[in-house]
Amino acid sequence: MRLILWVSLLVAVLAGALFANTLSPLAVSSAMAEESVPGETLGNESDSDLWRRVRRGESFTLSDPRLGSGVLVQSEGEEWRSIRNGLVSWYGGILVLVGLGATVLFALLRGKVKIEGGRTGKRVPRFTMVERSIHWFVAAVFILLAISGLIILFGRYILLPVIGPSAFGAVASAAMQGHNLFGPLFVVGLVVMLFAYGMDNVFQAADAKWIIKGGNLFGGHAPSWKYNFGEKTYFWLIVMTGTVLSVTGILMEFPTLVGELWYLQLSTILHAVAALLVIAVAIGHIYLGSIGVEGALEGMTEGTVDENWAREHHDLWAEKVMQKMAENEPKGATKPAPGAAE
Amino acid sequence: MTIVQIIEGPLWYIAAAVFVIGALWRIIGILRLGRRTDLSVPRSAAFPGAVKALFRHMLPHYGFFNRTKLHVFAGYLFHIGLFVVLFFAAPHVAFLKEHVLGFGWEAMPHWAFIVSAQAAFAGLILLWFRRIADPTMRQISDADDHIGSWLTFIAMLTGCLALQESNASLRALHMLTVEIWLIYFPFSRLMHAFTFVLSRGYTGIVYGRRGVTP
Repeated sequence: MRLILWVSLLVAVLAGALFANTLSPLAVSSAMAEESVPGETLGNESDSDLWRRVRRGESFTLSDPRLGSGVLVQSEGEEWRSIRNGLVSWYGGILVLVGLGATVLFALLRGKVKIEGGRTGKRVPRFTMVERSIHWFVAAVFILLAISGLIILFGRYILLPVIGPSAFGAVASAAMQGHNLFGPLFVVGLVVMLFAYGMDNVFQAADAKWIIKGGNLFGGHAPSWKYNFGEKTYFWLIVMTGTVLSVTGILMEFPTLVGELWYLQLSTILHAVAALLVIAVAIGHIYLGSIGVEGALEGMTEGTVDENWAREHHDLWAEKVMQKMAENEPKGATKPAPGAAE
Repeated sequence: MTIVQIIEGPLWYIAAAVFVIGALWRIIGILRLGRRTDLSVPRSAAFPGAVKALFRHMLPHYGFFNRTKLHVFAGYLFHIGLFVVLFFAAPHVAFLKEHVLGFGWEAMPHWAFIVSAQAAFAGLILLWFRRIADPTMRQISDADDHIGSWLTFIAMLTGCLALQESNASLRALHMLTVEIWLIYFPFSRLMHAFTFVLSRGYTGIVYGRRGVTP
């Protein structure tokens, strides 16, 4: 009985000491100072305050730095989302439609730009096999990127209601993978293209005359070297937007290259803006380069153009090339070969 | 049975059987043609000539190199890229181990897959463009060449679109295109993957026997 009493007393003393330690003002103030119990019942901060700090984007110290960023909720992400899904998608979509509409309107009003003097049957070399290969390589990759990119940006508005969430999930995943895969090929193509076409696309004095005359898209004749002012502008637009697309695309594909999430958010917006701009203009380029201007496509498919086409669209260049052709023509080529029947 | 199950089950076995039996049929048929009897006195051994031709023709004769540099570059880009993707991509290694061979090997890392796939795509696009742009190539190309190129491109594309491995329908789409490719293979010029050895070897034997280097 005495043993029971002693044991009970010991337990009571130990429990009392433990309880007293937990509730002592010293212990509570120590916990408050260390802020070691946020959100707990006895912590120094209410749940509301804690979550308010989280929502404000405050950075917390993580027990393991390998866990990533200490910011749990990045508030700028909300603004980024509203810009990307609102402003960029809306006005970007309108921009692409304007590009399409302007091309259709031009086609309706101007019709096909024909070779005025008719075809001569004489061919003038315009693009080498290497130049054509580069063009079609970039064009093929660009089309794949444009389609997959448009699905990524507008798919949720256009495709999702039509095909449903399950199918859209597959399409969106495929578009993202395709986009990521073909992106680096575009970067390579862009650099090669810059070296292959850059020199001929430097602006020259003749371009000013071309601008004054409004090119020969609206009738009349405007002087031009290998590329006219419109083509040169398109080329440099491709280079500039392509550079933005390449840099931002690389950052998005390798997000660990930048520490701040903010850079990635900016990258997605710049990427979308540059892409929509170049897609809008590319619609016109594709039309004019294929069915809009008679004889233009042959330069990129066969490598040669009709002599009259060359004179009408790129007279300064044509003159130079034809002079070179005449110089390279073997002398006495018109004479009958030795031993030929007279 | 769902469409996905059909594609990944019976259709796969049918396609694989057509591919194996068809390819063997073609190769055995070519071998059975034999060689024309050459009554001339051999100046050199035929077999070393075949081996020599097999390797020497991997690069064009220096006289043609400048003219064919784009073709050679794009050709190696595509074929090496495709070979690496086909046999060293992690999903392919796993598939071959589980469904075909019963054993596997070390798969390449993801970044290497991306580089190889891009090389294969770049090469294929350039090769196909050359086929339609070069006047001679255009003349000697027929529907079979274009179908082979496009089927290969589509099979590669669907594979890359399914890269996330998060969607059964995308995987099934890739398998379906591969199955169509496998069925088409023995009846087309895609057979050059095997027959190039025979054709080069034959040329090498003929010239080797005559004591000249082809």
